[in-house]
Amino acid sequence: MDLHRLGVKFFAAEPASIKLPDFIPVFHGWIQKQNLAGHLLIDVHDYSHVHQGPGILLVAHEGNFSLDTEEGRPGLMYYRKTPTGLAPVEHLAAVMRSGLQACRLLEKDARVRFTMDELLVVANDRLNAPNDNETFNQLRPILAAALKQVFESTAFELSRKSEDPRERLIIACKR
Amino acid sequence: MEPQIAEEVDIFEMQMALRRTGRLDEKLFAETRLRRGCYGQRYDNGHRHDGIRTQQLSFLAEMTKGPDTLWDAPGMQRIKIPFGGVTPNQLETLAELAEEYADGVLHVTTRQDFQLHYVHIDDTPNLMRRLAAVGITTREACGNSVRNVTACPLSGVCRGETFDVTPYAKASSKFMLGHPDAQGFGRKFKIAFSGCKEEACALTNMHDMGCIAVTRLEDGKQKRGFEVYVGGGLGAVPQQAKLFDSFVPEEELLPLTQAIARVFARMGEKKNRAAARIKFLVSKLGIEEFRRIVLEERRAMPTDTRWTSYLADLERYREEPRRGPEFLNGQARPDGFEKWFATNVYRQKQEGFVVASVTLPLGDMTAAQARQLANIARRFSADTLRTTVEQNIVLRWVSEADLVDLYCELLRIGLGEPGAGTILDVVACPGTDTCKLGIASSRGLAGEIRTRLADRLFTLDESVRNLHIKISGCFNSCGQHHVADLGFYGTSRTIANRKVPHFQVVLGGKWQDNAGAYGLAIGTVPSKNIPDVVEQITSRYVRDRQGMETFQEFIKRIGKQQCRAIIEPFMQVGSYEQDRSLYSDWGDPREFTIGDLGVGECAGEVISVTQFDLADAERLVFEAQLHLENENYGQADAFAYRAMLQAAASLVKTQFLDVNDQPDTVVGEFRSRFFDTGILGDRYAGNKFAEYLFRRHDSPPQTHTRDQAYRIVEEAQLFIEATYACHDSLTERGAAGPFGLAVQSGRAAGKP
Repeated sequence: MDLHRLGVKFFAAEPASIKLPDFIPVFHGWIQKQNLAGHLLIDVHDYSHVHQGPGILLVAHEGNFSLDTEEGRPGLMYYRKTPTGLAPVEHLAAVMRSGLQACRLLEKDARVRFTMDELLVVANDRLNAPNDNETFNQLRPILAAALKQVFESTAFELSRKSEDPRERLIIACKR
Repeated sequence: MEPQIAEEVDIFEMQMALRRTGRLDEKLFAETRLRRGCYGQRYDNGHRHDGIRTQQLSFLAEMTKGPDTLWDAPGMQRIKIPFGGVTPNQLETLAELAEEYADGVLHVTTRQDFQLHYVHIDDTPNLMRRLAAVGITTREACGNSVRNVTACPLSGVCRGETFDVTPYAKASSKFMLGHPDAQGFGRKFKIAFSGCKEEACALTNMHDMGCIAVTRLEDGKQKRGFEVYVGGGLGAVPQQAKLFDSFVPEEELLPLTQAIARVFARMGEKKNRAAARIKFLVSKLGIEEFRRIVLEERRAMPTDTRWTSYLADLERYREEPRRGPEFLNGQARPDGFEKWFATNVYRQKQEGFVVASVTLPLGDMTAAQARQLANIARRFSADTLRTTVEQNIVLRWVSEADLVDLYCELLRIGLGEPGAGTILDVVACPGTDTCKLGIASSRGLAGEIRTRLADRLFTLDESVRNLHIKISGCFNSCGQHHVADLGFYGTSRTIANRKVPHFQVVLGGKWQDNAGAYGLAIGTVPSKNIPDVVEQITSRYVRDRQGMETFQEFIKRIGKQQCRAIIEPFMQVGSYEQDRSLYSDWGDPREFTIGDLGVGECAGEVISVTQFDLADAERLVFEAQLHLENENYGQADAFAYRAMLQAAASLVKTQFLDVNDQPDTVVGEFRSRFFDTGILGDRYAGNKFAEYLFRRHDSPPQTHTRDQAYRIVEEAQLFIEATYACHDSLTERGAAGPFGLAVQSGRAAGKP
């Protein structure tokens, strides 16, 4: 499966504490320091006026980070845009690690805590990974292996979030 | 997908491959991609000021997709939506593309397009194919071409329209798309259709070609036609369109459009982009001569069956509502419904049906919202949603009895906000968020004004509630600030070596009558003070309004001097040490800079003499505005000219301190030192502003008309802005000493 456009979302442990404008200077600070390894950080975009949207967006060449509020659940969303050149499991693990790297930095710089008991993985490519059972079955072992690599755990339960073919394939991972 | 479109996208992909290997010139490729809607975006030259220093953005690939535009830098994709009409299926596709190739947000523009931001050029061929599969093209969304054909979003349902212009707008868009006669323009060409003259919906007066539906009686039958206007435009120097013909029969609409395109392509300016829009050609020739040439061209053109073939289908054109008309009776109404109903619902001419406006904050909605809106449209509306020039979406043919359910559904997806078309519905171009030309944060300011007004909208005096605020990030007017009651455009000022974001306040533009009048600049105010200026001006309007006086009438009555006095207290900038907040822009904590425009890092002013001289020039242009207001057109012209001379002299003095004040000397010295050398020209505006001075100097007007005086006053204002920018640039480069570059007294010094 040729699928490098993947997303991962880690949820904020205390959603009520999230105030989107607070993240604007934090992300600008990251650009000043270019301190997200493996990413060329470019710009910050304020979407806080949009209902349950990307919130505050940090654009990088390799992928976009955002303090996302989709479905009213704030969290750190990372969408990988470019290939890593790695095998599928390693690529997905790398995407998760990039998201985690941002979470750790936010915990330090913005005092936000994230839960690691639940995450979403998004196949952000309807052409190569339509939201159907076949893709889900193809992706499931790759995802399980990547979760094991990153979290050293096999205790995650994987489920499709929606079966609507117009949506992307989004897999909820819970333990 | 139509084979022809598939082939076009394949060709574009091939051109990308050629460019990647260096076999296609970067300038040629730039225009090629622009004609596919692939636009550059801020920082795509690989430089960005991070608030402390300018960082080089080191993309891996060194290739470019245009001059000084890196291949890997994110860009903007503009997507044409003729007359703003989009089906639910198309909206779903747009949502998919926003998620997969952009940042998950769909942006509606002031010309009814959609824009996606942060798109990689490598993704654009697939993006275009997926759009083509649902009948959308990005072709000629940008570049020197016929841009999106816009139309009133109420066409077909408006109570005041003469007839539905939708099929004409559609036919015009299709006919001109890729037309061979429309490929040789020196600049873009924008067409708009309106069903009536009085409303604002299509803004025909500010278009290159504006068509207003009219009828006349011929042989006892109502004959359809259009009142056609040409040569309108905003941009740096706004011009009202001129009447070309008060009745162009419907069968002559397309051939006339083609004839105008041919004349524009043949006779329009090509070298100087700043004077290449058709408005300059119309001004140069005069409307009578322009009309004569176009009609001569029309007579010489070979007949094309497409000119009239669409007319046979006119009667069959209709939109089918989901259900029959029913009135809203005694249904329980949720909280907020009445307010939403008051501002966002329009009763159609078809009884029992309404148009519901979906207010998009700053023109944005998420992909998820778009998908859900498509579902809502399928349930409540007809086949077509329409985008609006106020950056909203309207659902038409809604049975009135469905309004409560519709409102609840919109509320559920976060799109049930009231305030469409009110002062809360602030329009803003992308500005410094993503635009390469943005000077100040138009969206940041718009967001702040919206936030401050949101809770107060329904407690505001009604006269204020329905005012329009429009904001552009620079003088190029993409936010249409000229036609707002309160308009603002971004600029910059240097205070003690530091840049401060400002907005020029433009008051008294007219939104109604299809953008019937343009406002005039009053003065520049620091960006952070603009919300207070809005508060102050609107309060003053409520307090001093006479009877049913409109805002335009009020501004005209109190005069520019009083307007200036109102904003004067907000124009002051304290020192950086006292209050740093003015030295950054809305929504952006970085210390403000215009370095991202590519004019170099700011070091601020060194000398004050020039600043004084420039301030004096500003004073003169303000006096010119007062004369204009008082209909002293000769004086307005004279003062505007003096203002330009003064500004030019202030720059000349940075090199040649003792220059005399004779106009010929000032202009001659200015020409040789700042124009011929290219020192004045910034990278985007070129030397166009200097040409305003030269034109006035070389060709003084024989007669003084309002149009001429208006134009010269606007030009003088922009010329002064350019001299400020030039002066800032010189001091930034350390090229200016206490009095400027290698100051020399007495006889003229050599060129730098």
